[in-house]
Amino acid sequence: MRSAAAVALLLAVLAAFGPALAPHDPSAIDIPNRLAPPASVTPNGLMPLGTDALGRCILSRLLAGARWSLGLAFVVSALGLAIGSALGVIAAMGGRAADWTVMRLTDTALAFPELVAAIAIAGVLGPSTESLIFALTVTGWMRYARVARGIGLSVAGRGYVLQARLAGLSPLAIAWWHYGPSLAPSLAVVWTGMFARAILGISALGFLGVGVPPPAPEWGAMLLDARVHMRSSPLQMVWPGLAVVVCVLAINLAGDALRDALARGAHPT
Amino acid sequence: MRALAVPLAGALVRAAVTLGGAALATFALLWHAPGDPALAIALARFDAVVPAEVVERIRAEAGLDAGFWRAFGNWLGPLLRGDLGNSTVTGRPVRPDLLAAVRLTAPLALAGLAVGVALAVPLALLAVRRPGGAIDRGAVALASLGAAVPAYWLGLLLVLLFAVELGWLPAMGARTPQHLVLPALTLGLGVAASLTRILRSGLLEARGAPFLPALVRRGVPRGRIARDHVAPHAAIPVVTVLGLELAFLLEGAVIVEVIFARPGLGRFLVDAIGARDLPKVQAVVLLTAIVFVVVNLAVDAIYRRVDPRIGADA
Repeated sequence: MRSAAAVALLLAVLAAFGPALAPHDPSAIDIPNRLAPPASVTPNGLMPLGTDALGRCILSRLLAGARWSLGLAFVVSALGLAIGSALGVIAAMGGRAADWTVMRLTDTALAFPELVAAIAIAGVLGPSTESLIFALTVTGWMRYARVARGIGLSVAGRGYVLQARLAGLSPLAIAWWHYGPSLAPSLAVVWTGMFARAILGISALGFLGVGVPPPAPEWGAMLLDARVHMRSSPLQMVWPGLAVVVCVLAINLAGDALRDALARGAHPT
Repeated sequence: MRALAVPLAGALVRAAVTLGGAALATFALLWHAPGDPALAIALARFDAVVPAEVVERIRAEAGLDAGFWRAFGNWLGPLLRGDLGNSTVTGRPVRPDLLAAVRLTAPLALAGLAVGVALAVPLALLAVRRPGGAIDRGAVALASLGAAVPAYWLGLLLVLLFAVELGWLPAMGARTPQHLVLPALTLGLGVAASLTRILRSGLLEARGAPFLPALVRRGVPRGRIARDHVAPHAAIPVVTVLGLELAFLLEGAVIVEVIFARPGLGRFLVDAIGARDLPKVQAVVLLTAIVFVVVNLAVDAIYRRVDPRIGADA
């Protein structure tokens, strides 16, 4: 649990201060020194991971890219959490018709493979950060809705919910004060998984050229740029992918730790 | 028989509603796409400068001036007859091109699944022989790592190693069976990661079931316990996972085909987006949705056969 918190903190710091930690301007172009190998010294100074096809410092781009890749993943997964859990609670509280409607809506959204739908939406709407967020949010709320509805239905029959209703509490207050605490742990676990998926989704869309528009140093787009120079500077391709893997792995492990901790808390032995 | 038919009918109705919603969502996306679709069609057909009245005629022809629901009706009618319309870029029907792409994606998906199963089943079986042992921990670590590695990166690294550095296998295209090896491996390693994880926990759960000590004490041979009692229990999550894996295979195939320049569904989709050929985009999206819904129906039906507990309370 402590390591999970440390990972979360580290990633938050990266996303917040990544651009400030960059040794060089991530978009400073220097054509004469393009595709420099790692640890080479150019007139602009030391390039720890070398330079890309336009002579930009790769380390600086990776650090600046953390804000895009991690920050957008945070936004997308938080939007999905808000929309999905609201719909799930509506399904659980709103009676049969609301439940049926929300569940068919969820089924419909789940009928599309997430990434295929996201690629199509982002591609059709045109490359912009807004359409990227929209595409990944629209395809990323269903799991929250299912979990929130499942737990919500079990909460709906509890005595304290009935009592709150008899006491005249508004549905919104009941949802927040009486459903919220039961939902929060499971939704937090789902959220870690969806956060990791969002990182993968954003970089996949970037790699396919329908993500964050250039010249933003998003990790998937960096990989797309690096791919062309696979033969001459193969290492350039390694860094952005490695950044994605490290982040996704760390978040997944943090999610596992969170799940295990919650499972232990729920069933004290 | 009735007990089985009623929930199945319910599932079919749900599937129909889902597909209707999917068609509506797809159309809504195209309707809201930036740019004038009539102008796009006109430019695609006649290129160069198009007079305004031609654009208006196309708008009327395509039913684009009739409002959202009328246009949706005009669009849905031919679709239900299996007519996917014409490409706005080439003017040719979309369907033959789509089927040609499917013929390349299907073998890739199947090969990827085969690689995944061939890796995951032995690994999971080895892992659960000693839960918590070195092999088990290694398998879990590999599966966690595999889940974090994006397919596009893995594919590029495999190209770098086997095609560029070693020169053993071709990287681009789909001419020979050898061209299938690297894409299938890229896809299969991803499948193996998630399959190993779920298979392992399914087997562990089945092994921990309370009926096992009872069977052992009654003197039932170990082989028979494994075959008749553990295997069916472990099979249930596997059916679910294979349904889920299909999602992964479809998504993975899209990415993998782009990396390996394999002209399947993925390339078809990405090229169509690049050319703003909306009928083609819509065809891919709808096709994957149909495949998904059908597979989910099949998984549902298999469930009811494998697990008698589900039919009882559904």
